[in-house]
Amino acid sequence: MTGEEPDIPERPDLADGPSAGARRLVVAALALLLTAGVIGFEAWPLTAWRLFSLSRGDRQTMWVLEVSTPDDEARPVSLEELPLRYRHAAWPMAGLPTASAARREAICRALLEPAAAAVDGVTELRLVRDRQQLVRRDGEWVTTHDREVVHACRPGADR
Amino acid sequence: MSTASAAWRARLDDVLWGPETGRRLVFVHTALALLIGMRVALGSYRQLADTPGPLFDPVPILAWAPSMPPAWGFVALQVVGTLAALAAVARRRPRVAFALAWLCYLVLAGLRGSRGKVLHNDLLLLWTAVPFLLAPVAARWQDRTPRRAHGWPIRSAMVIAALVYFLAGYHKLRRSGLDWAIGDNVRYVMLWGPSVGAAKWDAMATWIGEHLWASKATGAFILAFELTFPVVLLRRWLQPAYALVAVALHVTTFLFLGLDYWAWALTVLVLLIDWPAVADRMRGEAPPPR
Repeated sequence: MTGEEPDIPERPDLADGPSAGARRLVVAALALLLTAGVIGFEAWPLTAWRLFSLSRGDRQTMWVLEVSTPDDEARPVSLEELPLRYRHAAWPMAGLPTASAARREAICRALLEPAAAAVDGVTELRLVRDRQQLVRRDGEWVTTHDREVVHACRPGADR
Repeated sequence: MSTASAAWRARLDDVLWGPETGRRLVFVHTALALLIGMRVALGSYRQLADTPGPLFDPVPILAWAPSMPPAWGFVALQVVGTLAALAAVARRRPRVAFALAWLCYLVLAGLRGSRGKVLHNDLLLLWTAVPFLLAPVAARWQDRTPRRAHGWPIRSAMVIAALVYFLAGYHKLRRSGLDWAIGDNVRYVMLWGPSVGAAKWDAMATWIGEHLWASKATGAFILAFELTFPVVLLRRWLQPAYALVAVALHVTTFLFLGLDYWAWALTVLVLLIDWPAVADRMRGEAPPPR
């Protein structure tokens, strides 16, 4: 082969390829992946593959749980303290600002039971939007918090 | 048709449907079945039973599900999926067994992702396994002659993997621009840490975050790696290097951000390295003709 000739790969038994059904399956899979990926929509298992794609800065908004106890102590409850099925609750909570009152109460009640199991004597659960900022102070990175209670619920209380 | 056009068609044809040995097909098919079986058997699924309704947000393919299944439902899916994967590994009715294991995996991973957050942890394995749903099952370990009939599932799975990595890089550029790599982004990714779970090597993540040159180099390397991944389809000698870099990327993602991407790391290793040929070379045997 000379340097000017195209570098065509050798293909033994050229006719020995995939069946028409197999070709259709692969082409369909690639078309679906490309469509979701290029347009950028989420319909799992179709996805836009936006892994860490949004640039992060020194500010972020987190959704956190905060409880009150009988001695009036406010205490944050990390979702990591709760059973696995509650650990992604920050995503449903992120929809709270635009959610109906009923939806807010439903999410709060769904989280009240595990929060009460994690902390003795919970008298109130608050769903909090925490606007955080990372600042450098005295050589250390410190997170500042600006908390806003979006919804609260109490054990046993009616809606 | 011009020579250049014919050459590109031939190259595209080779990329998607090119030849591989039967032993490589058996290896990849079996390894993917094993990976699927491990994800199905070892995943923390049954703990998702009794997820309260307001926190259940089914993914589109499970939109018909009114709620998370009970614990026994998860266990049943895990048992069936694991047994099917083992049958595929043992080459007992491999096509049906592989498809059944894949289906159980799809449902389990979908249920895990039905809590509001888009989860990608299982998607590379799920998608690259798609061509193997119709892969020829008559291949034998003794088949050392490359054939297109044995190559197309492997080659098309490589194309899927390359596309996935490329799209991950593409969306970084599309949403954040070059600033994703050369701005402060990676610094803050490291300093903030994961939004779910915990970093396993917090000190190193903080070190990278505190040294801007290190975070920018990390960002530039990741973006370049993802965007150039499809090159491995045309320059096959690069495949082992890209596979090893992918493993390093996913291992460090686990260490610095606590995110579980071991299925991605192993899938890429299985697909991009011709392990039977490596074994042959280690035994001093000649590789098959290409």
